[in-house]
Amino acid sequence: MSPSPTSPAPSSTLPHNRTHSPAVTPTTAVIQSAAKDLRISPSDAVPGRLTATTTAPHPYAITAWHSLAWLTFANAIGVLLAVMLLFPATNRLFDTFTYGRWITVHLELELYGWSSIPLLAFLFKVYAVDREPAARWARPILWIWSTALAVGAFTWITGHTSGKLFLDWTGYSRILFPLAVLAVWLLLAYAFACSTQNARIAKLIGLALLLLVPILLYISASPNLYPPINPATGGPTGASQLESTLVVVAILLLLPFGLTHRKAPRSRTVRSHTITASWIIFAAESLLCLGLGRADVSNHRPTQYISLASLLVWIPLIPAYFAAFAWHPNTRRWRLAFLWWWALLVPTGWALFLPAVLDHFKFTDGLVGHSLMAMAGFVTALLIFVLVELLGDGGWIFNRTWSFHAWNFGVFAYIALMFLAGWREGSDPSFTILPGTARNLLYAGRLLVGVLMFLASAEWLLAASQLLRESSTSQPSLPETAA
Amino acid sequence: MTPTDQHAAATSQPTSGWSGVALIAITYVYFLIFAQFAFLHRLAQLNIADAHLKAVMAAMALGGILFSLLAPRTEILAAPRPRLQLALTLCAAAALLTLLPLNLPASIAAAFLIGASLGTLTVTLVTHLRLWLGASNPLLKVGLGTGLGYLLCNFPPLFTASSATQSLTAAILCLAAVFVASASSSQPAVLSTEAVRSHRSAQRRALQSITPTFPQVLLAFTALIWLDSAAFFIIQSTPALKSGTWQGTAHLYLNGTLHLVAALASVYLLRRKGLSATLAAALFALAAACFLLLDPHRALLASLFYPVGVSLYSVALVAYPAFLSPAQTLAQRARQAGLLYAIGGWCGSAMGIGMGQNLGHIPPLFVLFAAALILAPQLLQTRRRELLATAAVLLVAAAAWSAQRALTSAPPPLTQIQRGRRVYISEGCINCHSQYVRPNTPDVLLWGPTQTLASLRAEQPPLIGNRRQGPDLSQVGSRRSPLWLRAHFYSPPQVSHDSIMPSYAYLFRTQQGTGSHAADTRGDDLIAYLQTLRPQDPDQDLAHLLAQRSWQPSPADYATATAAHGEQLFTAECATCHAANGATRNQWRTSFRRLPPIPAIGPLLDIPSQPGTPRRDRLAQIIKFGIPGTDMPGHEYLPDADVASLTLWLQQIIPHPNSPSIRPIPHGDIQ
Repeated sequence: MSPSPTSPAPSSTLPHNRTHSPAVTPTTAVIQSAAKDLRISPSDAVPGRLTATTTAPHPYAITAWHSLAWLTFANAIGVLLAVMLLFPATNRLFDTFTYGRWITVHLELELYGWSSIPLLAFLFKVYAVDREPAARWARPILWIWSTALAVGAFTWITGHTSGKLFLDWTGYSRILFPLAVLAVWLLLAYAFACSTQNARIAKLIGLALLLLVPILLYISASPNLYPPINPATGGPTGASQLESTLVVVAILLLLPFGLTHRKAPRSRTVRSHTITASWIIFAAESLLCLGLGRADVSNHRPTQYISLASLLVWIPLIPAYFAAFAWHPNTRRWRLAFLWWWALLVPTGWALFLPAVLDHFKFTDGLVGHSLMAMAGFVTALLIFVLVELLGDGGWIFNRTWSFHAWNFGVFAYIALMFLAGWREGSDPSFTILPGTARNLLYAGRLLVGVLMFLASAEWLLAASQLLRESSTSQPSLPETAA
Repeated sequence: MTPTDQHAAATSQPTSGWSGVALIAITYVYFLIFAQFAFLHRLAQLNIADAHLKAVMAAMALGGILFSLLAPRTEILAAPRPRLQLALTLCAAAALLTLLPLNLPASIAAAFLIGASLGTLTVTLVTHLRLWLGASNPLLKVGLGTGLGYLLCNFPPLFTASSATQSLTAAILCLAAVFVASASSSQPAVLSTEAVRSHRSAQRRALQSITPTFPQVLLAFTALIWLDSAAFFIIQSTPALKSGTWQGTAHLYLNGTLHLVAALASVYLLRRKGLSATLAAALFALAAACFLLLDPHRALLASLFYPVGVSLYSVALVAYPAFLSPAQTLAQRARQAGLLYAIGGWCGSAMGIGMGQNLGHIPPLFVLFAAALILAPQLLQTRRRELLATAAVLLVAAAAWSAQRALTSAPPPLTQIQRGRRVYISEGCINCHSQYVRPNTPDVLLWGPTQTLASLRAEQPPLIGNRRQGPDLSQVGSRRSPLWLRAHFYSPPQVSHDSIMPSYAYLFRTQQGTGSHAADTRGDDLIAYLQTLRPQDPDQDLAHLLAQRSWQPSPADYATATAAHGEQLFTAECATCHAANGATRNQWRTSFRRLPPIPAIGPLLDIPSQPGTPRRDRLAQIIKFGIPGTDMPGHEYLPDADVASLTLWLQQIIPHPNSPSIRPIPHGDIQ
């Protein structure tokens, strides 16, 4: 699925590094000189600033910016939540906008803002939305997505929710958001129709499947539907967990085909076998999942936790699978990070499903910590890896050492604190309910690492803004820029 | 140095720019603390109100509009410095004039003089601002001047001073400004204006491409000032809002600091993002304040947004006509400044005050209209495709939603319990409370008997939740009385020691007569819903009660327990109801089914009268699980050792049935 050599060139090139600047002409020099007097950014005074509106920035740069804007905003809410836990009187400042409402906003924005938009960039790549004439519609589509999300956030904070976590679309926003998803689909279809891509049959099937997403989203947001319940805990069954993890595995297996190409012939056979074996195992596990059905089954049933153990095979397999593909050098740091998080996530996820363990941790911060490991650790590292691969040389925005370590250390420390709290809570429910120094110290620790994570995301957002500006002011093609 | 720079340097004396900062700050102080505050208070002291007050304010507006428009067009005293000095002197004179016992005609004349001198002052100052600001960092100096002006206005000794002191201060500052203005430049101002004109033209050329047109800017400022003035008037005239925004020394310092920080942020935005982004940021902050002011309980939050929005646009209001407007000549710049202050400033302000007077609130639709007015021109110019595509999807969604509602039959009205369940969902209770008792775990004893999956699935959706920040609520109706729930919603930390749960008193506002939504019954609905969360099977309920009655702390718990710790726990957990000065006891005194007994006095109806093991066990059970059917709650989450300590303490203080006197109470009188 890599771009064909005969494909038209991308609509614009991304700036390679932070020092990139537009070509300086006598006209721009005069204008920059005048702007300097007011200490206004020279880029603001360059005629290109306006022409930026006519020369659309690169779709991946816009996608990165939108996703990071939501990540930063949702993280800021996360910090607010941590403040509210440590200093409950803060709630008074916000009147009706209390902790419970902010939690919903925080979770939904992390899911539909940060965790979803980078996958749009992936789809843009697969369906060549980065090429004209489709490229000019990337930003409008992201505006629609973000507007729908903003409307959703407004409804959640004002108390219009359905009570379905992560599917909290209700009323007007239950129609608006699927329409935003449909708009993405229309753009993909338009790009598909406009281009002469390879693997057209596969992409056509993909389009057909993607058309189901807005419909399923609308249907599954209904309060009348609820997934199978594990009667021992009230949580998801082993089959449900297997099913949702296999969806993640499917995405992991598909990603490389849309992003890059296989490595060169050396030891190709082994790599090909890895890829083939992965897909065969995936198919087998999917059959197993189908066989388990969707009944309300306890995690105390051996079939449940033994079936879930089949996921452990992906701990070595996913790194081997990804090693079979060629990746941009800029992705190395985040590729390793997401693979490490994956290696941590899968076994701990399985261990937490085991009867005695889940009985101890259910409804505690321990399981919340594991969710954080999944979303802030694994998913975030994976999405950044995808974005860096798509941005190529522009991926520098995620590769600053400080923010990389701040984020990963912050997530790890947060998880450790949550597991500690969960361990205590599992033995003594009063640990969370009653005030105490240990509990408050843990809350203070969560606040500190939360701030750290927020700062890291804010740095990425600022860098993405810079990339967007540079992408906007860069010339339409590489030779002209070089000239 | 460019030729224009050289020309400017040759014709004007270098200035540090602090005189410009001071002039801007003093102008703002005069306008804010005298014209908007002290003068109005003075009029009230003079018994000028209603129609007379409107006539006085109209005179001020007339003077302001007239002289804002005339100042650029008249040749009288054309040189900027003397004209500015004259305007400042008249400002001072007008402020001093108001100290006299004026009648209505004199007040109208004074108001006209205030408007006229302010109009002349503002237009003259911004048109020739470079004379006093110098050539370096002009935007920063404008930001500093504006921020310091607002900071000074919020300086508590000045803010809370009498109107006479405020008027006197304003007059003194204006007279000082006369000297500040004269100290800035010794060159004839006319020559300097030529230099500035030439110098600025290069900058205008540079900036023309990034700034909106003058009419767009005029509309944007008018909308912002309208919002600002309406919000200001509403806060001023609504005691509940005023107490939440401008009262208390700390709050005033916070306001002043926010103004200064926002003013500097405005400088950053103007430099790096341009005028449109600055005005958009100001709009966002002011719109947020306007929305929040719809509910007096959110005034505190609104008070954070309001100063930010005001300072963000106030810096631009000076910087735009002084430096950023696309005017080609100095005369054109002066005319634009005049129009900006006449229409945007005086008219916008008058309209805002009128809105505040007549409506008492700022309609959300008006805020949205103002937002469209400010954002749409720029967005249509630069983001037309994005705007139209988003609008199209929003409209399609609205049409689909309307169609859906029209096609589906109207659902039957919700019962109180169903409404309560909606409230439970809306408030996000599910994010902290589970509704699932895990079978064969300690959950069963603590939180009640288990439910069946069928009964769970019958709820749409099931509200199992995934986190217990607080207790499980699946059977809360059998553990907590309606009164306990109500008291807890009002003030959780008062009822449950140091609870981190936020107050939900706002769900009951209508009952307290402070809300404006007469039909709001959310709090009662929620309680009604929670009361239904109880075992549906009587046998199961009975079995659960028996299990509770057979529970007691273990010998190991008693071995570690102490009465002294029990006393501390009593003070924290129980005294709110069981001490004579308990907060919950006194707040809800008339609502209890039976006033909670003082343990040392009694009577304790549910406790065996004779001391001994049965009495001890029953005490422990009541502490742990409460008394069903009464307002006495359980403390299920307390560790058993704590329950044992409390039991030991209570055993000591509960009077002996055969002795009418109260036993000595160790560690002081808890009452």
